[in-house]
Amino acid sequence: MKVLPSRSNEWVRSVTPQKPASAIIEIDRVSQVFQTSARKEHLALSEISLTIEEGAFVSILGPSGCGKSTLLYIVGGFVNPTSGAAKIKGQAITGPGPDRGPVFQEFALFPWKTVLGNVMYGPRQQGVRAAEAEAQSRALIEMVGLKGYENFYPKELSGGMKQRVALARTLAYHPEVLLMDEPFGALDAHTRTRLQNDLLNIWERDRKTVLFVTHSVDEAVFLSDKVVMMSKSPGRIRHVIDIDLPRPRRRNELLLDPRYQKYVVDIERMFDESDEFGSPS
Amino acid sequence: MMSPAALTRRIAPVLACVGLLAVWQVASLALKNDSFPTAIEAIRAIPDILGDKEALINILASLRRMAIGFGVAVIFSIPLGLLMGRSRAVAAFFNPLLMIIYPVPKAALMPIIMLWLGVGDITKTLVIFLGVSLPVIYHSFEGAKAVEEKMLWSGAAMGLSPLQRLVRIVLPAALPEILTGCRTGLVLALITMITSEMIARQSGAGNILFNALDMGQYDTVFAMIIIVGAMGICLDALFERVRARLVRWSEPQFDIPLSFS
Ligand SMILES: Nc1ncnc2c1ncn2[C@@H]1O[C@H](COP(=O)(O)OP(=O)(O)OP(=O)(O)O)[C@@H](O)[C@H]1O
Ligand SMILES: [Mg+2]
Repeated sequence: MKVLPSRSNEWVRSVTPQKPASAIIEIDRVSQVFQTSARKEHLALSEISLTIEEGAFVSILGPSGCGKSTLLYIVGGFVNPTSGAAKIKGQAITGPGPDRGPVFQEFALFPWKTVLGNVMYGPRQQGVRAAEAEAQSRALIEMVGLKGYENFYPKELSGGMKQRVALARTLAYHPEVLLMDEPFGALDAHTRTRLQNDLLNIWERDRKTVLFVTHSVDEAVFLSDKVVMMSKSPGRIRHVIDIDLPRPRRRNELLLDPRYQKYVVDIERMFDESDEFGSPS
Repeated sequence: MMSPAALTRRIAPVLACVGLLAVWQVASLALKNDSFPTAIEAIRAIPDILGDKEALINILASLRRMAIGFGVAVIFSIPLGLLMGRSRAVAAFFNPLLMIIYPVPKAALMPIIMLWLGVGDITKTLVIFLGVSLPVIYHSFEGAKAVEEKMLWSGAAMGLSPLQRLVRIVLPAALPEILTGCRTGLVLALITMITSEMIARQSGAGNILFNALDMGQYDTVFAMIIIVGAMGICLDALFERVRARLVRWSEPQFDIPLSFS
């Protein structure tokens, strides 16, 4: 099966040809070994190499346990890889930094802060003056559709609202790269679709680089310029698929577009295959 | 206007108190024992104690020791507990120490401390400090350990240093748990305060109580028990108010009040 370019390194070509693409993140032969017990080791990631261009929306797709989160954490600087290296703008990643903004599946909001307090936290930490940080944060809260909820505590919000706050909180300190780990995984289908649309709108406005982990094929195709398909045990990159669909993307148009449908069907087939590679070690 | 439910919640504790006093009164009348005065006799003795200047000074001295012991313990224990919860090395060092101290009744250490430091304020305050420290350390430790890692990562991504993360993320995130420890600590402070005065008989509320016992003034003994009990209830209720205010962001609404607040 070779319907789409796959399993090669030559994919490192521009996905946004209209502007000169430069690599913002380079992952070079990264492997991650976890010590699962005193004598057992688990190879979670094996020799992952990936280059992400500035302004690209890249999704990582793969079966549960293939190391998607681990890869994201390595780029975030939260986890040090066992071997290999990750770089941002040519600089080795040694720890977390405000140039990379994570949005975790668990939301990880600060429960003792209100919605506004959560969103203002980053800018305040960056030394933005209180009044200015507040004005920016209020605008962001409005942008993610939570106007009127500024003074609510996280416990008073639904899952979808928390996810919006988490996104706004990360956007608030203007990271150059957004690292999103199954941000919509825990949401109902309707909320999920709405947030996907909102995310696309926000992204199409300021074209941040996004590294987006998901295990939904539709979501990956709908959002991305490039889909990276992983397989598990050990976690490897199986395919890299460029999604050549026009932007701005409208969900109702896209769902009827045969090209979109073909991407989804082909990638779903690859997904099934890559799932079969995995055998418990 | 209070709702019927709220009214019941207010009245229930009062009824419980009145009921307890009634049972006491009846039991005491039935037993007719010298060393068991009636509730009314005991209550009558309260104004005598509180009107006596020396007794009042003694009680205030007790409260001062308790406040200092509690305060110093909290200031010392919260950072230690948080550090233990976030650093394996710190936990590995302090855990065995605390394991040894934990089961020892702190009052049992008093004779030794008295030997070194005398029977004065320092000894008693130190015992209160020891009594309060352990639950506060323990709860701070548990609270810090339970802080969601992703929350710390979020902070790190915003540029918070490890120390800033401890103070600005771990501390507030663990605050509900820490305050639970402080509440236990407060009750223990009262208990160790009385016990310490019982062992080092020199001054204080405990001293009044046990002196009265020696002299067979049983109504005074029971009056002191009521006073100490009331102090405990008031302190606890006060603390609960402060606590509820500080961690309103985390609280589900209680149906049954756990104190008289
Ligand atoms: N801290 C850890 N210690 C030991 N093993 C770990 C650790 N973190 C992850 N693993 C293992 O590494 C593998 C990859 O985990 P990871 O969370 O990255 O998978 P994932 O692709 O994000 O899965 P999911 O889609 O279910 O979130 C899994 O087999 C997991 O058990
Ligand atoms: Mg994951």
